[in-house]
Amino acid sequence: MNPFELRNPDSVAAASGAAGPARVFKAAGIDLLDRLKERIDDPDALVNLLPLGAELGGIGRSDDGTIRLGALVTLQQIADSDALAAPGLRALREACGEAATPQVRSRATLGGNLLQRNRCWYFRSAAFQCAHDGKGDRCLAWHGENRYHAIFGVVDCLRVHPSNAAPPLMVLGAEVEVQRGEARRRQPIAALFPDSPAAATAEHTLGADDVLIAVHLPAAAARGGSAYRESREKQSFDWATTAAAVHLGVEGGRITSASICLGAVAPNPWPVDDAQSLVGEAPSRELFEQLARRVFRRATPTEQNRYKVEVGQAILVDALLAAAGL
Amino acid sequence: MQTDGPAPDRTPASRRSGGFSRRSFLKGASIAAVGGPAGAAATAGGAILTDAPRDTGTIPAGQLREIALRVNGVERRVAVETRTTLLDALRDGLDLTGTKKVCDRGACGACTVLVDGQPTNSCLMLAHDAVGREITTIEGLASDAALHPVQQAFVEHDALQCGFCTPGFVMSAVACLGKHGKPSPATLRHELAGNICRCGTYGRIFAAVQDAAGRAGR
Repeated sequence: MNPFELRNPDSVAAASGAAGPARVFKAAGIDLLDRLKERIDDPDALVNLLPLGAELGGIGRSDDGTIRLGALVTLQQIADSDALAAPGLRALREACGEAATPQVRSRATLGGNLLQRNRCWYFRSAAFQCAHDGKGDRCLAWHGENRYHAIFGVVDCLRVHPSNAAPPLMVLGAEVEVQRGEARRRQPIAALFPDSPAAATAEHTLGADDVLIAVHLPAAAARGGSAYRESREKQSFDWATTAAAVHLGVEGGRITSASICLGAVAPNPWPVDDAQSLVGEAPSRELFEQLARRVFRRATPTEQNRYKVEVGQAILVDALLAAAGL
Repeated sequence: MQTDGPAPDRTPASRRSGGFSRRSFLKGASIAAVGGPAGAAATAGGAILTDAPRDTGTIPAGQLREIALRVNGVERRVAVETRTTLLDALRDGLDLTGTKKVCDRGACGACTVLVDGQPTNSCLMLAHDAVGREITTIEGLASDAALHPVQQAFVEHDALQCGFCTPGFVMSAVACLGKHGKPSPATLRHELAGNICRCGTYGRIFAAVQDAAGRAGR
């Protein structure tokens, strides 16, 4: 790592005010230290958010059933939280509990998980210059090694969004709370991701002085059933090759609400609009397999990642069956 | 940084005692071989500041600053840069070389220590972020006369070959038993998934940890 200044602000507003060119926010630093060591990032200063645990930590449940997850809450705290015990929130607990390793989950934060950089090996290597890292003029994965890359929603860059927490938060209808200076705002989590995730676009839409401070879950998220499933090359300690988060409402043997978001298949978390076609139907394996075929028929795989079309369908069906309790 | 504590001790124990260890020999040999100083502390040129505010304000780039780390129940002072990882502070600054540096990217688990009881990749944690936390390394497990039950079980089950991953595995196992008591085989595998053994001794490692979990008092 090259030397850097370490700023320890005493408030979120001070952290936002400390932002600037060649400065980056640091939470636990799991992804950031990796980038610094690989010399793909070389900031002059880190603005340390860890001292702000009083403002940015904690899992809180209000009387009205809404839940606030501080941006510094760790993945392990989410996986173990009694406040998130409802079946409707299981997808979030499963996604965080299966991410990375115990050593990483114990420190990696929710905010860091949502805002980490992608894992494309061309982007992650200082030896390559690509359009996404700003040093090259094209995506090297198109005609290179692309077996872990995107099959949906590609603009001109084949990266996939790396967050485990994002797909379940999408299906749970989460909002993110962001502070810039003294001003706070809330927005749907979908607005955290760019409309057009081009190579020249960052993985998220936050400004340089925006501090992600919390994620909010609506009370309705706790109702119904949910599940998260992912495929990996190894059984543990591996990045997902495909992932699916599902939230279903089922009453009287009929699906009353359905929300699906895929992970690891597109430059953004990939919501599935077709989920609405499940509403009114009786949950069954046949129904879910039909939907999965329809969804993945629109995939646009490249040379080495056609397997994601088959595997992704199986993962989606597994998640739907688990969410429906079948 | 408080100035009323014990004087900083940056001399490795092996040298203070006048003893001769494999490590001090290797260090000396490497210095002789390359003709220059070894160790991270040698990379910074400035004086060590001892009156700096602790863990607040702005710490300049490239400056060695003394921090207090609570390691194995004892407050230790160590001079670090902002970029110094907890792993390097432990190994190079405090001579606690039981914690191993292998991948330095959070991918192998050899550097696992407990921070406030939680298993942590010390290579992915800045030393400055460890101030005020309770750090336990492999050196902190055994009592005067007895190994920790997990260490003892590793010995009895011959749960290692080259042994380089062993400190990390032991720390993850201690954390697992602290959380789960007597874990199921599936839980144990899940909790040890962040450690890699290139010799492939997983079977004996799992058996050793299950055995340690079953012993009285664990």
